Amino acid sequence: MIALASRNIKLFFRDKAMVFFSLLSVFIIIGLYVLFLGNVWTSEFPNQEYAKFIMNSWIMAGLISITGFTTAVGAFGIMIQDRELNIEKDFLSAPVKRSSLAAGYLLSAYGISVIMSLIAFILGEIFILAEGGELLGIVAIFKIIGIILINSFMSVSIIQVIIGFIHTGNAFSAFSTIVGTLIGFLTGIYLPIGQLPTGVQTLIRIFPVSHSASLARQIFMDVPLKIGFNGVPEAAVNGFKELMGVTFFIGSKEITPWMSLCYMLLIGALFFAIAVMNLSKRKLE
Amino acid sequence: MTKIIEVDKLSKSYGPVKAVQDISFYVEKGDLFAFLGPNGAGKSTTIDIITTVLMPDKGTVIVDGLVLGNEDDKIRSSIGVVYQDNLLDRLLTVEENLFFRAGFYGFNKDRIRESVKNAILTTGIQDYAKQRYGKISGGQRRRADITRALINTPQILFLDEPTTGLDPQTRKNLWEVIRKLQRDREMTIFLTTHYMEEAAEADYVVVIDEGKIAARGTPFELKEKYTSDLLKLSFKDEIKGLSDLADWGITYTKAGDQFIIRLPHTTDALPILDRCRENLNGFEVLNGTMDDAFIGITGKEIRE
Repeated sequence: MIALASRNIKLFFRDKAMVFFSLLSVFIIIGLYVLFLGNVWTSEFPNQEYAKFIMNSWIMAGLISITGFTTAVGAFGIMIQDRELNIEKDFLSAPVKRSSLAAGYLLSAYGISVIMSLIAFILGEIFILAEGGELLGIVAIFKIIGIILINSFMSVSIIQVIIGFIHTGNAFSAFSTIVGTLIGFLTGIYLPIGQLPTGVQTLIRIFPVSHSASLARQIFMDVPLKIGFNGVPEAAVNGFKELMGVTFFIGSKEITPWMSLCYMLLIGALFFAIAVMNLSKRKLE
Repeated sequence: MTKIIEVDKLSKSYGPVKAVQDISFYVEKGDLFAFLGPNGAGKSTTIDIITTVLMPDKGTVIVDGLVLGNEDDKIRSSIGVVYQDNLLDRLLTVEENLFFRAGFYGFNKDRIRESVKNAILTTGIQDYAKQRYGKISGGQRRRADITRALINTPQILFLDEPTTGLDPQTRKNLWEVIRKLQRDREMTIFLTTHYMEEAAEADYVVVIDEGKIAARGTPFELKEKYTSDLLKLSFKDEIKGLSDLADWGITYTKAGDQFIIRLPHTTDALPILDRCRENLNGFEVLNGTMDDAFIGITGKEIRE
């Protein structure tokens, strides 16, 4: 199981195209942000001095969350490739348990998702620092790492269930293209949640990755908002948080961080259970 | 001799397509066994079933005394398989590939290291073991595939069209490796091929066509049974030779100064040669080839 997982991780990182395409949506978001979105947003701030710090923190929090999801999709590309190229046959003709093969693929997708998220985290921090912001505190760093671990678990479970329906390389590319296109909207990164119609807002609130984005934003933006919005009335700060998807509301009720965490873990566990059930069914065929 | 593989009334369909229909055969221990047939005849399906990656619809298979379907993991431990496609990872080095796949057999670290080392020495791939599998040549890749199949020191080595697409020199080298394994390790080799010359070197051949067994025997038996030999004569005195042949009731065709006589068996040439010994300028006996035998059996020529 561990041998298969480490082989998959090696294959993933040696396949530059695979790494690139699993990060494509991340690159697109960075590109859009650096080119114009960032300027549009920051120009609206009353206090220009900290505007960049605030918005950089906001975008990086979102990016870390979607990196966990899209790279997990990319990681499953290896499994699809093994199926398509019949490499699976070589594994099946050896005395290795089917369940440990499946576990190996899951584990490697999780590993890849966590590694890539951590890399995104480090690069994000460097970016924020380079643009005149500050690094996160120690506690905040550990909180982000915790979110990354949960986010990756949840993402891998969800994708594993969907991958169960995908058998060909073409179907897989279609799936990952759709994910790459939609994820920026579904997590409220291309456009902040407050600027979208109610229906889409609901969709974002249901999409579990948005919750890791929201949690990450709360941690990333804690300090910049305190200094940047110093003296601004609390109602206005909360309004900004709601607009940008830092905190989610259902009606007038705020979704607390614990609720988001529980939701993510619940979704992760639910999909994990479905995936395990699907795998054991496949064995009987 | 002991039977190391026994296949009994095996059938497998893919929807309406009957890939393999009710075939039975056995392989003797230590033999080089060739499974010969045109593309799409059912060779790969059969090999996939015997090597436990495909479930049969009907029939029983016993490999090394183990029943397929009940003791699959034990079967898997005692076989090595080289499939038609190159199935190692192109982005890993040959050695990395071998280390990873040696891990499938429940060996501890030392045993893994040792079996990788031994397998590499057996096939002689030291020179490119540290290169990426994707960067080496087709022949080298095949050798690496065989090395992978040897990693668990199998009793039986399956080779599904191992030499397809390789140049003649590489094919020859590969055959030396295979031969050596059979001789030195007393390994049973189960080979599928559509190359006649390869089947001709086997100890026993089963010919499969359209999912059914069309013929079986040693290459010699198959040639004897399904081909005729040609006797070519040239006479000192052509007129005499011509009338002699007519007197003895032998039918012939004439090409240039040669009289060509078709013989069911090679030994049939002897009485004819005896009779016209005095008048002979020269003669030639051409044996039927496996190609001829194959055409005789299936009524079609093998195409690549």
